[in-house]
Formats: sequence, C-alpha cells, structure tokens
Amino acid sequence: MTTEATIFEECAEIVAHRHWPGAQHVLTLHAPLTAAAAVPGQFVHLATGERHALRRPLSIMRAMPGQGWIEVLYKAVGRGTQVLAERGVGERLALLGPIGRGFTPVAGRPRALLLGGGVGLPPMIFLAEARRQLARQTLVLLGSEVPFPFQPRPSQQLIAGMPHGVIGTMPLLEDWGIGCRLASRAGLPGCHDGFVTDLARLHLDALDEPTREATMLYGCGPEPMLTAVAALAREYMLPCQLSLEEYMACAVGGCAGCVVPVHEPAGLAMRRVCVDGPVFDAAAVYPG
Amino acid sequence: MTADPRLEVPFCGLTLKNPLVLLSGCVGFGHEYPRVAGFSNAQVGAVCLKGTTGAARPGNPAHRVVETPAGMLNAIGLQNPGVAHVVEHILPTLDFGQTCYIANLSGSTVEEYVAVARQLDDTPLQALEINISCPNVKEGGVTFGNDPDMSARVVAAVRAVTDKPLITKLSPNQADIAANARRCLEAGSDAFAVINTLQGMAVDIHTRRPVLGNVQGGLSGPAIKPIALLKVHQVAQVCVPHGVPIIGQGGIASGTDALEFLIAGASAVGIGTGLFYDPLLCHKVLADLQAYLDTHGFDTIGELTGSLQHSA
Repeated sequence: MTTEATIFEECAEIVAHRHWPGAQHVLTLHAPLTAAAAVPGQFVHLATGERHALRRPLSIMRAMPGQGWIEVLYKAVGRGTQVLAERGVGERLALLGPIGRGFTPVAGRPRALLLGGGVGLPPMIFLAEARRQLARQTLVLLGSEVPFPFQPRPSQQLIAGMPHGVIGTMPLLEDWGIGCRLASRAGLPGCHDGFVTDLARLHLDALDEPTREATMLYGCGPEPMLTAVAALAREYMLPCQLSLEEYMACAVGGCAGCVVPVHEPAGLAMRRVCVDGPVFDAAAVYPG
Repeated sequence: MTADPRLEVPFCGLTLKNPLVLLSGCVGFGHEYPRVAGFSNAQVGAVCLKGTTGAARPGNPAHRVVETPAGMLNAIGLQNPGVAHVVEHILPTLDFGQTCYIANLSGSTVEEYVAVARQLDDTPLQALEINISCPNVKEGGVTFGNDPDMSARVVAAVRAVTDKPLITKLSPNQADIAANARRCLEAGSDAFAVINTLQGMAVDIHTRRPVLGNVQGGLSGPAIKPIALLKVHQVAQVCVPHGVPIIGQGGIASGTDALEFLIAGASAVGIGTGLFYDPLLCHKVLADLQAYLDTHGFDTIGELTGSLQHSA
C-alpha cells in the first residue's frame, strides 16, 4: 500500500464564529495540521456537532499556518448547517482536512481573474491571498444576491473596464493591494447591477490583447454561474479552472458518492469531486 | 494498536485479526481511507473491496448520496472499472499481508457473476462476497437477492467455479431472510453478510424531484441498526447449527453497536457508513471491545457470538 496520508482528523476548537445577514456565517477553527498543509481550492469535511449527521464539505477561505487556524464561510441552508450555526466559541468540532486538488497555475498566464459567487467566495479569497504572496497580478470579482459577508468599502484602486459607480470592494483584499469589485442584483450600493460574469466581460473587453492572452480564469459558485464562467472562458479562449461542489459522504474517495461527469481524452468519466477535484478544468466539465 | 489475540476471529477457514470488516462500497479498492493520517487497513480484520462487475460500469448520475435522519441514502450504481482492470491493476497494489481482502462481486446475469468469480479465483483475494442485494442497479442485485430461488442459483453457480470462501450478502428487502439464507447455505455459501441497505427515497420539495439521480437508493447508517440486528438474529438461527459465520452490519457507529451484533449472532461486524461520520472509528470500536472483554470476564471475542440470553 503506497497511499500517502495527506488528510488529518483534528478536534478543532471554534476560535470565532461571525454571523452575517442572509444566513451566512464565517467560522474560524483552530486546526493546525490542516492550516499548515492547505492550498487554495481545498476543503475541510466538518462535523456539525450533531450525532449521526454526515459531515459538511466547506471550502477553506483562509489558512494561517503560523497561528494554526483556518476560516470557512458557509450559508445555513439545511438542518446540518443550521445546527452548525448554533455552535459557539470554545466548542470543538471534528474536522477532516485539507482535502482535494486545488487550483494550479498555467504557464504563460501570470494574470488571473478570480470569479466568486455566493458561498463560492472562499476559495477565491484563499487563492487571492496565496497569489498576493507570490506577487502575481490578480483581480477578484465577487457576486452575491444577499449582502456580502463583510462590510464593502470604496476602493482606491483603478480597474480597467469598470462602470461608473462600481467602486465597492472587500476590505481585506483592498488591504492586501488586490483589485476587487462586487456585483449584485440586490441593489447593493457600490456594486455592479448584474452578474460577476457581466463585470468580467467588461474588464476583459477593456484589456489589450497581450494582457488578455496573459490572463486565466478561476471560478467558484452556484451551477448557473459556473456554466456562465465556462462559456466566458470559451468565448475569450482563456484557460479556466472551476471548483465544484456535490453532495458528499466520505470525502476521501471511498464511496464515489460525489461524482461529476468529466470529459477526458479517453471519453466521459465519472470523477469524484472530493479527491479528483474539487477543482476541474472548466472545458472538461462544461465542454459547451 | 498492537494485535490482541483475544480479538482474533476464525471465519470460514480464515483467521481475522479482529472482528472488524470494512464494508464494500465505503472504502473504494482499499487505497482511499489510508489518505487519512492514523488510518490503516492493517487495523481491521478484513476489507471488502468495491463491488466488481464483468465490464466497467460508469454508475448512476448525480446526486448519488443524501443525508437522512441518522443515516443516508446512496445510489452509486456499482461504478467500477470491471474485473479485468481490478485483477491486472488494482489487486497487485494491495498488501495482502496487512489484512484479508475480500472481493465483492456483482452482475446482471448469473453468467456475469460466474465470469467475475472465475477471474477472481486465481488471485490472492482471501474470500469472495456475492452481492445479490445491491438496490441500485436495474438488473441483478436485489432482484436476485429477494428471490430465494435466484439467490441459490447465483450461489451454486459461483460455488462451482471457485474454492475460495464465499460470503453471501443478503438483502433486508425480502419477506423471509432466514429462508433465503437456508437456501444459499445449501447452495454452498460459507458465510453471510447481513444486511445490505434498505430501499428508500428522498424528495426535494423545491424542485419536486427525487433527490437521487437514480430516484431510489439504499438506506444505511444508525437508522437501520435495529432492523439489521433482528435480521442477524434471524439468520443466526439458520447458521449457528451449521457453524456458518455472519458478518453483522448496518449502522454500527460505536463499540456498543458492534457488541450488540456479536451477541445477536454475528462473528464479525461491518463498518461502513460509520466511517463517514468518523474515519478513525475502528480504533475506538476495538478499544471498546477490549474494555468489554476486560470488564465482563470473557477470554475471547468469539465467546460473545450468539450469547444472547433469552427473556425469562
């Protein structure tokens, strides 16, 4: 048996649990082994605290190896996440992580456009922070139909193609010096009235050709958004990686419960989101 | 954990180092759970590999799993690369010194079961489990397992082509599981796995569609434990007089659960869905079994099998 142990079971203490409108919650957990090993695009499989409940796969939003904590964002949409939302600081939750294949850079594409929608924000934040440390050019476009799980503020950065008045940014990204703009159809101030893909198109159209050809797309969000991001990538002929989600049981590849159809050179294959993903090449999942 | 000879279990000619068996469909082909630090196949008595058919199968469309109260439904649909791939590419990567590896064979026809068994016969696999109870395929599976005549035909046909110990995985979705066990025993089954999942369904009230791509699935987890216990108890009435062992399975998530199955008549106990709640569950169950032996004055775990005391 040659399988390398890369996933850790940790009894993670809740360090902070912040609650935002729209049933959104940001959970900070002390999980030093996971924090030390995590890369953007990976997730944790988190017990909710309820006995005999399956764990919930949650994308990692930040990982601080030095302090030993990770942060996840989730929306309480069903019983499991509602139970999770009731857990308080100091309580401990069983956590399995980090899991999955994360995002990978593509040769000749130093610029990245990161598109996150709803609870698809976390992997984009994690990727942006990692790219910041590598001093790579990054623009983050985030979309939400409910208020964002942070207080947007006006950005001081100029970004090509942004319509007048679209100035809202995520403070954390602004502080990191990373360009960011927001989109929402909920009439939020400073946000573009539309989808993130609309905002992405405006930006791409404003770039000169060499700059566009140095750009790639990363995306995470609800299914209709992923389909739109894949279509955008096809239209502009940009490489694109998407982080997917699917109902999951084991999260380590044992049950084959979380598969998606993936187009591969040898034909269509059912691949596990947990360990074959969650990041897949957009063209393989949404060939158009 | 160091090996504890008190936990050793004789099992149709094999010696399991302890009564824990990792269940087919939950642990892939043995390489998946060792990704988790602290987990090793060497910790358990046996590992049942993913259900294997003659040709490769893509399995069912998504969703394939959904949580239910104290359990889950699955409809994987026997996704597997086919027996030839398993024999050529997967079995050579397993360390047969670590634990007993058991194949789980399935098919749409009796002939397919036989063909798979033939190809698995000349391998280091320590036993074959006949899956006549998969609820998630259109042909074979549970349609064989719910019909005692068909069950016995499959067992007899497989028996004719292999000398390896045969374990028949029985369906709870039938009227008289003990009668079926008797037929399979007469047809040459050396052991039984009791039970496979129960057929069930979930509905998404927002889309008004079935949650599972396959519409129906198999229910597992703690919710089915009382049913599984009764089935083990019933099958034990048939098996015990013949010295035929049972792997008791269905919702085991603690040492107490495992003990209940042993007392009800099982010689070994299967862990499946319980791993999804706690991937390091086996450590805890084994520690609980050892503690029980210590505090209740038993010398070996085998003394517990079928030790159920009848009500006065």
